[in-house]
Amino acid sequence: MHELTFENVTKRYGKHTVVEDLSFTVHPGRVTGFLGPNGAGKSTSFKILLDLASADRGHAAIGGTRYRDLRDPSRTVGVLLEHAYHPGRTGRNHLRILADGSGIPLRRVDQLLELVGLGDAADRHAGTYSLGVRQRLGLAAALLGDPPVLVLDEPGNGLDPPGIRDLRDLLRARAAAGGTVFVSSHLLAEVEHLADEVVVLNRGRLVTTGNLSDLQQAGISVQTPAVERLAIVLTDAGGTAHRVSDRELLVRGLPIEQIGDQACTAGIPLHGLAPQIGSLEDLFMEWTGDVERRDAPSTPEETEWEVSPR
Amino acid sequence: MTWPRLVRAELRKISTTKLPWGFLAVLIVVAGLNGSVVIWGTDMDGSKTFISTALDQQSLMAFAANAMIGTGLFGAIAVAREFGHNTVVPTFLTCPRRYRAVLAQFTAITIVGGLLGLVGEALVIGAVAGALPFTDYGFLASADGVLQLLAASTWAGAAGALLGGGLGALVRNVGGAVTAAVVLLFIVPPLVVQLLSDAASWLPDALNRVVAGVATDPVSVPAALAALAAWAVIPAALGLLAIERRDVV
Repeated sequence: MHELTFENVTKRYGKHTVVEDLSFTVHPGRVTGFLGPNGAGKSTSFKILLDLASADRGHAAIGGTRYRDLRDPSRTVGVLLEHAYHPGRTGRNHLRILADGSGIPLRRVDQLLELVGLGDAADRHAGTYSLGVRQRLGLAAALLGDPPVLVLDEPGNGLDPPGIRDLRDLLRARAAAGGTVFVSSHLLAEVEHLADEVVVLNRGRLVTTGNLSDLQQAGISVQTPAVERLAIVLTDAGGTAHRVSDRELLVRGLPIEQIGDQACTAGIPLHGLAPQIGSLEDLFMEWTGDVERRDAPSTPEETEWEVSPR
Repeated sequence: MTWPRLVRAELRKISTTKLPWGFLAVLIVVAGLNGSVVIWGTDMDGSKTFISTALDQQSLMAFAANAMIGTGLFGAIAVAREFGHNTVVPTFLTCPRRYRAVLAQFTAITIVGGLLGLVGEALVIGAVAGALPFTDYGFLASADGVLQLLAASTWAGAAGALLGGGLGALVRNVGGAVTAAVVLLFIVPPLVVQLLSDAASWLPDALNRVVAGVATDPVSVPAALAALAAWAVIPAALGLLAIERRDVV
């Protein structure tokens, strides 16, 4: 079983800190989505994990071992990063080169070309491939050594709907078989369908990590005629309260029972109390600080306020 | 068993693009030019004394200096394009001990560079031998002389490819690496001669003439071989060091 671990990883390019004190674990048997806006540090984190870039502080490991110390890296970790092929080389030869270097029999190349649906394009120059076909070639390269760990950067880019469905089925099957699947994607709806857990970065820092379904149920809608008083009470109790309207708060960080008890103790009437499941897109916007921009109110009276925990 | 498979992968990398075939085409053109010179070329006085002795013919056929320049460009392109196309990423993922991957790549381009030098020399010798019957002179070079030419061009081709590969690893950009190879092999030597005339014997052109047996420089053949190897190994070592230390971005 191969856990992926990041421990206090920091990476700077000159004065610019790309990744700062990043610590999290990606568990086997799960599909873990790696989310963050452009420039959040996802690609750099992948490169540090794969020893393509060195961390200034901290370290990343695969099953407790640094990538460069793995005995058979191609049979341990399958990787899809940015497109890496010679445009004048055929897809089949691209895979044969990787197979040669890894000591993998060439018949495995033919199997994979069929698996990813590249049979017809395999003997054309990769420079003539569409984005989707290039992506399939990259996936074939990642799967060449039949590795228990997959690290994939935007694997769904350019794939058509059947391709995305095939990819989802493949990754789910890998995770179900005990594999570790770590996938970055900008296709949030796809991640919502695919991922069991998420790791979210913003500006090089870890924003949140955990079980996606738990994170999505993190909000509780509270209907009350006294939103300001209740917000203060709940914030004092350790929660976070967002004002949705004059009569509704969205509360995070407190169990539903405690919200009811706190309101009762303070003598604040409640007209409704219900868990809310947020879409991943809404949560992503909130995690990455885009909620204010996206929901920017048009008049001062409608200003949304938030009371942070003390 | 990792080493042979890494070299095999690198050889497949080279053989599955048009790069070596392009260089082979250039060699055929160069050989054709040599044949044309034999048939139609003359000295200033209109005679053909430039092919009148065995040493003259051997000098005309000596391809080692050209081989070193040509394969220098080949090595520079072969290594630098890996960074341009990002194919260095799967290479280092397959073999994360980068020095091993790079040494395998250097080995492959050295083999192919040596082969290009050998083939280039063989084509030139063939073209000259084929053209001489159209003149008043026969093929005068001895078998030993021909063997020495072939060996010298093979050595020069290998050294040039390794030198170019080192520059490609240092510069990581095809245009920059080719420019660096041209500067090192074309522009630096005459400047060195201007500044340090004693160093002229240790420049690639003079060394290649010694190894090919067509010069009477004070440098011995073994010393010339070693010096040519140093011209190749130093940039290669610097390139290897740079790749070990840098991030792949």
